[in-house]
Amino acid sequence: MSEHSFESAAEAVSNSMYPGASAGAEPNRSRWKRVGTVALGGALVAFGLRRRSLGGTVIALVGGALSYRTLSDYLTDAGEMEPVERSITIDKPADELSDLARDPESLERIVGHFADVSAVGDDRYRWSAGGPLARELSWEMESTADESGERLRWETVDDDSMGALFDAWSLSFDSAPGDRGTKVTLEVRFDPPGGTAGSAAVERLDVVPESLVGTALDRFKSLAETGTVPTTEHRPSARGRGDLL
Amino acid sequence: MRALTWHGEKDVRVSEVPRPEIVEPTDAIVEITATAICGSDLHLYNDRMPGMREGDVLGHEPMGEVIEVGDEVESLEVGDRVVVPFTISCGSCWFCEEDLYSLCDNSNPNAEMARKMMGQSPAGLFGYSHLLGGYAGGQAEYLRVPYADVGPIKIESDVSDEEVLFLSDVFPTGYMAAENADIEPEDTVAVWGCGPVGQFAIQSAQMMGANQVIAIDRVPERLEMAGEHGDAETINYEHADVYDRLMSMTGGRGPDRCIDAVGTEAHGTGLDGVSDRVKEGAKLQDDRPYVLREAIKCCRKGGTLSVPGVYLGRANVPFGPLMNKALTVKTGQTHMQRYLDPLLGKIEEDEIDPSFIISHQVGLEDGPEMYQTFNDKEDDCIKVVMTP
Repeated sequence: MSEHSFESAAEAVSNSMYPGASAGAEPNRSRWKRVGTVALGGALVAFGLRRRSLGGTVIALVGGALSYRTLSDYLTDAGEMEPVERSITIDKPADELSDLARDPESLERIVGHFADVSAVGDDRYRWSAGGPLARELSWEMESTADESGERLRWETVDDDSMGALFDAWSLSFDSAPGDRGTKVTLEVRFDPPGGTAGSAAVERLDVVPESLVGTALDRFKSLAETGTVPTTEHRPSARGRGDLL
Repeated sequence: MRALTWHGEKDVRVSEVPRPEIVEPTDAIVEITATAICGSDLHLYNDRMPGMREGDVLGHEPMGEVIEVGDEVESLEVGDRVVVPFTISCGSCWFCEEDLYSLCDNSNPNAEMARKMMGQSPAGLFGYSHLLGGYAGGQAEYLRVPYADVGPIKIESDVSDEEVLFLSDVFPTGYMAAENADIEPEDTVAVWGCGPVGQFAIQSAQMMGANQVIAIDRVPERLEMAGEHGDAETINYEHADVYDRLMSMTGGRGPDRCIDAVGTEAHGTGLDGVSDRVKEGAKLQDDRPYVLREAIKCCRKGGTLSVPGVYLGRANVPFGPLMNKALTVKTGQTHMQRYLDPLLGKIEEDEIDPSFIISHQVGLEDGPEMYQTFNDKEDDCIKVVMTP
């Protein structure tokens, strides 16, 4: 990935997604902001990358290694997409982590950067994207594999009338090398509505799959190890309370 | 509340911002009684750090009184007097358990971004960009302190704010720099940069039994301070060639241990300095690693290079000499919690009084002006302490 392509990607992203937060942003905007966060892999949007000097610094810092591929970049014209997979090491036993991943309240915190989740029955959850997309993206998932401490998998229920962001969410747990706890792997198979490259719906989503998955794992780890999830909300600044990032 | 906020290059303002509140049950709120401007704040002031946003609250060297604690905070009570270290550490992850607090795995909510840039994310820091967590800083009337059981150190003796304030950053940072230099008796230690971190590195090197400490800077009053308080010999690099002087002072061996307490915004001299500025202007490098290059050249074979100075991105560093001379490099943001108790002990036992570095004491409203004064090294400015 060349620096130039990163630069143009970053600029395009920031220009299209910057919600123009200003001082005194009202609290209910934070949900929308969180979607923006996802859109930017958790960071770029609010950096004011429009300031070229900063953009330059960021790009220089990254040294060309950084690429934000949004959802549409992953999709082929036929709408096929490889699952996105990331791993993290968490210093807790796999059984305990399985319980956390199944518990609706914990799950809600783990995915709070982009979605709301509620239990709607045995092993079933309703997911909806945060912010203005919530009305378009809401879907039910049901458990299709539950081997505690080894593998958990949920799949989107077919007859769902609304759009789903992904059709499979699966976690696997392995012993981390060197007695450092559990290696947790999250694999998400994205399946956005209108899911072909270049379709208007997908373009509008502007989600960065790898960052969404990576941040979910970060939050999972923090919740498991500390009981809290670090947040950028409620922060005081001259922009008001709360934060885009 | 009033706070110093960042608005771009050389633009710090006093703003009215919302008061922080308890967000997690492990938080505490501290009413700030003293808060300092750090040399690394100047990297923000000069807009060299990515991930700053207009309106961000600055500051990472605060102390004050606990006025509110979350339900799960066990070690602090309302009314406690605390110094707050600049690193934010959860206390539970592998890195915190290994005493590598500035590498905490859990305190940066924007870890994904930092990971994209660095491979993994270090700890979140107060008031130091969204890349490192976007936490509101301590140059304000109040501060929210996450993981309150892990960070702040309680001050239970009657030592003054000025004596203990620098436990928040520069004293432990200078101390860790000297520790990282692996100083042995008979060693000659050269310290580039005689700002606060350099001053504490010099004094710490003396505490660790260095045979000779040499301080390098161009600001006369800073060199004077290093001689007077740190018993160091001095080199003013504007008046002498540093390599030649060091070789002559060490019989051609070079200093055994070299400490770069300058970091990314070094003022180079000669062609190298010009070249650094050109490369930086052309975005070919993010840092001006003049001191690193000079230290690598000067350091004795098999010696140690300790780098407390902050670097941000890519720097053009001569790796060939580093490798062929078999140098050891040790660096990192300070693992603050490792040093708070022992260094408070040194202060309370009168081994050191860190307040010697203070050159200016002002109110928060004078902050913007003091940023400029400190940045321009005017008015003999070495350390600014503000009272909100």
